[in-house]
Amino acid sequence: MSSYTGLDGPKSKHYYRIWGATFLFGLCLAMGLLYYATIQVEYTWRWNRVPQYFFYENTVEIRTNIEGEISNIQKTSGQATVTIQGNGEEESHIIPVQNLLLGQGDYVYPGDTLGTYKHWKIGILIEGLLLTLEVSCLAIIFGILIGLFTGLARIADNPILRWSAIVYIEIIRGSPLLVQIFLWYFVVGTVINTMLAQYGLSQVPPLWFGVMALAIFTGAYTAEIVRAGIQSVHRGQMEAARSLGMNYAQAMRKVILPQALRRILPPLAGQFISLVKDSSLLGVISIRELTKATREVVTSSLQPFEIWIVCAILYLLLTFTLSMFVQYLERKAI
Amino acid sequence: MSAPIIDVRNIEKYFYTPEELKALNRVSCTVDPGEVVVIIGPSGSGKSTFLRCLNRLEYADAGEIIIDGVNILDPKCNINAIRAEVGMVFQSFNLFPHKTVLENLTMAQMTVRGRSKKEAEDKAMVLLKKVGIADKFAAKPDQLSGGQQQRVAIARSLAMNPKIMLFDEPTSALDPEMVGEVLDVMKTLAREGMTMVVVTHEMGFAREVADRVLFMDKGEILEQGPPSHFFTNPVHERTKEFLSQIL
Repeated sequence: MSSYTGLDGPKSKHYYRIWGATFLFGLCLAMGLLYYATIQVEYTWRWNRVPQYFFYENTVEIRTNIEGEISNIQKTSGQATVTIQGNGEEESHIIPVQNLLLGQGDYVYPGDTLGTYKHWKIGILIEGLLLTLEVSCLAIIFGILIGLFTGLARIADNPILRWSAIVYIEIIRGSPLLVQIFLWYFVVGTVINTMLAQYGLSQVPPLWFGVMALAIFTGAYTAEIVRAGIQSVHRGQMEAARSLGMNYAQAMRKVILPQALRRILPPLAGQFISLVKDSSLLGVISIRELTKATREVVTSSLQPFEIWIVCAILYLLLTFTLSMFVQYLERKAI
Repeated sequence: MSAPIIDVRNIEKYFYTPEELKALNRVSCTVDPGEVVVIIGPSGSGKSTFLRCLNRLEYADAGEIIIDGVNILDPKCNINAIRAEVGMVFQSFNLFPHKTVLENLTMAQMTVRGRSKKEAEDKAMVLLKKVGIADKFAAKPDQLSGGQQQRVAIARSLAMNPKIMLFDEPTSALDPEMVGEVLDVMKTLAREGMTMVVVTHEMGFAREVADRVLFMDKGEILEQGPPSHFFTNPVHERTKEFLSQIL
């Protein structure tokens, strides 16, 4: 037990076994109680209904576009090429042989079903997950850029940079994200899109207002993290760099920031995990990210317990991956 | 007699901590090219502040500091160009911990002097050999002992081909047995004719290497002279008192 580093003396082997077992018991108890409670309210668990919201098999009907006679059906290895000869025009479709509904010589009108085929499509939950991922990635990238710039401006000598940074940080940190999202969508969004419409330009989709709301919100927090990181680097580092003749920008880029970024990775990870979770608010401006998608699924499936649990697990998947990725960066940076 | 390379005229420096503290009180002094000047004095006497004013790490509040013909207190002067000519060695080494020893030496050469990587690395290896740690070029600073780190720091400053070297208590943070190796490097430099201003508590070094010793107390230079005279026949009462405490 010589590797023991605590200050209270080594614990016995049983100490860890007993408390470890107690933890597992507590975990099982909590899950058991939850299950028991759902039985009491007569909830019927139907986990088999969940997979269809991830992937499902879609049936597509193939319809004719012209009026005419099926002149030829050429069958090759399960696929049939159906050719329709109309009045001076011709069209052909490829249909799986076993799903073919009509035969050679049949007369068809536009909109008649020739046959069907099935293919796999991603479900609404996966769509929502991908959108959440997209919004989060974009917001993280913009958030880092805004945060880095604002963090540097926050400690600059120039009053306009410093005061702008302080005003920005205080305003953003002092108001609720939900209100900011509404402001971006209903105020900024309306103004921009109305102006674009007046000049005959295409509209900016709500996604971008959502991304900007998240990025600007995260940027304010990131700025303070960056500032704290820079200020945590010993003063002597800047003095050493400057005494060698480097200017402020060179010293900052080559000496201070590399050391600061290494230290701020853990709080940055926390910030970006928050951002992924905060993206669940974007449903209110009709961006169908994971939470909004889940709400729609719950409405149609009437299985709220399963779907909301799945939703939470999907968010966990995203945040856990991000957390692992940052830990990997941290190890690599040392 | 050539013109002094450092010419300090009546500089004053105040600190507000928050009560006003006069760290330097109308200090004047000149240093000729190739001269080795050692500054001694009790802690809080302003000797480090004086040294840091010489490359404007502290901005003197009044007076003139003329380095190699340029008044560095003129806001329009290119301080980065001046600093490239004035090497500085710190008490706490201040090596860049995220870079290897070699990169510590090449970074400023490439960014400030605009040397190619090859050129900078050749120069760095020559200097590392000179300070006796060429074999550690790939190590990170925290893998080195204090004495080795300080020798790297000296080599890092020398890589810029400075005209003046400033030493701010370079051996104060070292284990006693490592003081010697750093002082040896400094002695070699002095012998080669480098202009040096050294703040130190190493009286042996002062006696052996210095051309002139300055004694500072309460922000003023009380006494100065060649070491032979300074250590044997101090004039000022405060100097006598200080020397009797440490010798």
